[in-house]
Amino acid sequence: MLSIENVSKAFGGVQALNNVSLAVAPGSVQGILGENGAGKTTLMNILFGLIRPDRGQIRLNGQAVVVRSPRVAQRLGIGMVHQHFKLSPALSVTDNLALAVGRNFVLLHRAAFRDRIAALARSLHWAVDPDSVVGQLNVGQQQRVEIIKALLGGGKILILDEPTAVLTPQEVDELIPAVRSLARTGITVIFISHKLSEVNRMCDRIAVLRRGELVFAGPMGELSAEDIAQRMLGAPSALSSLGASSASPGLVRLHLSRVCCTLPGTRKYKPLLNNIELSVRAGEIVGIAGVEGNGQTTLIDVIMGSLPISSGVITLDGSDLSHLANFRRARQFACIPEDRQGQGLVLSLSLTANLMLRSYRNPEFTRLGLRHVTAWRAQATKLVRSFDIRCAGVEVPIQFLSGGNQQKALIARELYGNPPVILAINPTRGLDIGATAFVLQQLTAARQRGAAVLLIHSDLDELLAISDRVMVMYAGQLLPTKWPVVDRAAIGRMMMGITPQAA
Amino acid sequence: MFWLWTAMAMGAVAFSVLLVLAILAISGYPALGILHRWIIGAAGNRFNLAASMADACPLLLTGLAAGVAFRSGVLNIGAQGQFLLGALVSVALTTRVIFPGPFWCVIVGAMAAACIAGGMWALLASVLERYRGVPVVLSTILLNFVALYLVRAALHGPLQAADTSAPQSPQLKIIYWLPILITNTDFHLGIPLAFAVAVAMAVVLGRTNFGFELLITGLNPRVARLVGMPVVRRQFAIMFLSGCCAGLGGAVQVLGVTHFMLGNFGNYGYTGIAVALLGRLNPIGIAIAAVFFGMLDTGSRFVEESSLALPHQMANVVKGVIILAMLVASAWMMRRGSRVRSPEAGVNQNPADPQQVQS
Repeated sequence: MLSIENVSKAFGGVQALNNVSLAVAPGSVQGILGENGAGKTTLMNILFGLIRPDRGQIRLNGQAVVVRSPRVAQRLGIGMVHQHFKLSPALSVTDNLALAVGRNFVLLHRAAFRDRIAALARSLHWAVDPDSVVGQLNVGQQQRVEIIKALLGGGKILILDEPTAVLTPQEVDELIPAVRSLARTGITVIFISHKLSEVNRMCDRIAVLRRGELVFAGPMGELSAEDIAQRMLGAPSALSSLGASSASPGLVRLHLSRVCCTLPGTRKYKPLLNNIELSVRAGEIVGIAGVEGNGQTTLIDVIMGSLPISSGVITLDGSDLSHLANFRRARQFACIPEDRQGQGLVLSLSLTANLMLRSYRNPEFTRLGLRHVTAWRAQATKLVRSFDIRCAGVEVPIQFLSGGNQQKALIARELYGNPPVILAINPTRGLDIGATAFVLQQLTAARQRGAAVLLIHSDLDELLAISDRVMVMYAGQLLPTKWPVVDRAAIGRMMMGITPQAA
Repeated sequence: MFWLWTAMAMGAVAFSVLLVLAILAISGYPALGILHRWIIGAAGNRFNLAASMADACPLLLTGLAAGVAFRSGVLNIGAQGQFLLGALVSVALTTRVIFPGPFWCVIVGAMAAACIAGGMWALLASVLERYRGVPVVLSTILLNFVALYLVRAALHGPLQAADTSAPQSPQLKIIYWLPILITNTDFHLGIPLAFAVAVAMAVVLGRTNFGFELLITGLNPRVARLVGMPVVRRQFAIMFLSGCCAGLGGAVQVLGVTHFMLGNFGNYGYTGIAVALLGRLNPIGIAIAAVFFGMLDTGSRFVEESSLALPHQMANVVKGVIILAMLVASAWMMRRGSRVRSPEAGVNQNPADPQQVQS
């Protein structure tokens, strides 16, 4: 029995957890739901000893424990699987796990250890081969290895931090029975997510956090999905109010004609982009569906000019973009990149600096050639207010903001000043329902203002909800679909590369 | 945050001085007497203060060179080579190839040429990185040696003074010396010039769009590219600017202090890195740190000249302890910071942190 009692934690001025109490029964799967920044990860990091609570305590089988560090957590039988795996891709599963066991490495009986792993995998009905090299496993299998790693030391409590964020839908389908079989062996699983459907299929009990407070804890099924969403958000979801555009699209803004892209020096391999024909008109959202890794990022890179094309023409408002220097070309587009922390934001700088990364050139923000500090702050404050970015102040480094608020800041920056052409890749990845609806609304609002939007998205539901036209990207090719889509299965087949007659 | 770092720097300095004094006391030296002499020697009268300033001057410029680069994530360890090259060019232009014109034209020309020479020397490393993938850390270190032997070759060859077989240049004509601004002291024109450069750097880096672009380009070039900054140009600009500062430092040292050049022309470039770190990579902080280092040097010479028989190297020991104390303190603050940091936050990606610069 694990119980969390009256735990509170504040970061700077932000109360991440406020007096949260929760009891988890052994052998159950406990779902923890909440928006980004609701405090889920903070709570788990406290359990795992990465963060110490300001107040409150943790009891394990009735005994109060102080989880001072992850090592202490492991000794207490608490294991955690993070979103980003900590495995060495060049080593075998056995070696990776041996490394994790640590101290006994020198005296490790390798064969016995290997058999132990195999036995553990077998008891869970998992197909994990101890001898396979980790780098050759798919993400779902690597996750299993991580889970085994967390359990090897005799772990009784397993924390899974948004385990499905990195998985394909199929892998998610495989994870659910795997977790259920873990629970049958008496292991307590704490499952963090913001996807209702997964929690629904996996958990016995759920707890809902909102802005650091526990707003619901009880058995799964006591609340309807609608009720859970309402508790998470505190307000009804706005997704349903989004619809396809009624306005008719205008002139062609962005046009790609017979564009091919081959990596330099790799001519013999198949091209990254093959004969792309694409036009995006003012006032429309063109959606591109597809399984990731089929050339979507390359498409954005060639439009922005960071990758050269091997043939074809890319025009913006009729003029060839290849004549522009790369940096001038990048200024033509608003871009919501896939990797917001690596490509969209400078984490160590303030929210203000991050919000000004595009508009700093604007003359209204300089005075006598110098930064107009008050104008910067006023602009940042304005964006914070109109995009509802929750922060302890505009001078706070953006790394202290939650993922959802970081994404809001990025979108506030990119969409400010009504950019005529918007490129977006997976703009709602990792966001909760509220933030997702907000992002999609911003994109439809931009369309209403006459922007041309190219939306590359791996979430088909969201893509279909707001796009005016949808194409499917597969193996570097763009396949048109009939619109409006009635047959989602047809799109699914095209995404898998099955010939598109049916679409 | 700013005040915290300032307090930390002061604490590190105080701790180091106390530690060194304790060591002296244990070794049987009159520690308090030495401290007293040291302070007098560093700042006891206007002559000593001016000498400290003159010592600080080249350190300020090489410190700025390191600071500009580190702040933008470019690990230019080559201030030493850029400094030497600047000194070499300014000696050449004031002793061998003198352009016709009034003396101040020659001085300004020599300093400008030294700037450009330092800048180009630094730029070489950037070009090597961009087109040949050589890491700047490596190429700048190695170019230091190239510069050193280039200087020695020149001082044995075309620049060697006629009346000696040692590797040294002839002395500059007095009209090409930087004017002394306070009579009977070492306070030459290069000192206010160096401080002016520091202020200009503070303004350019901290308050202009150009400086903002340098910062972003350094911290995260992918973001810079996304928002349409000319990344390559800015990366080159960082290096050029950095090399310019170091080159100017060389010229100012030759024209203002030594008035000729030796094969062994000091370690100002390397010490500049320490100055930059102590100054938290902030131009004003670097100026303060440089003055402090200058005082340490001048003070220790004064102690040495007195009857106290203290080895000159003591100043270097103090410097070393200070840098170590700073690094320990900043590592400690970093760890504290990461524990406070919210869970969603990524790794600290600021390469300008001294802890990471050192590693």
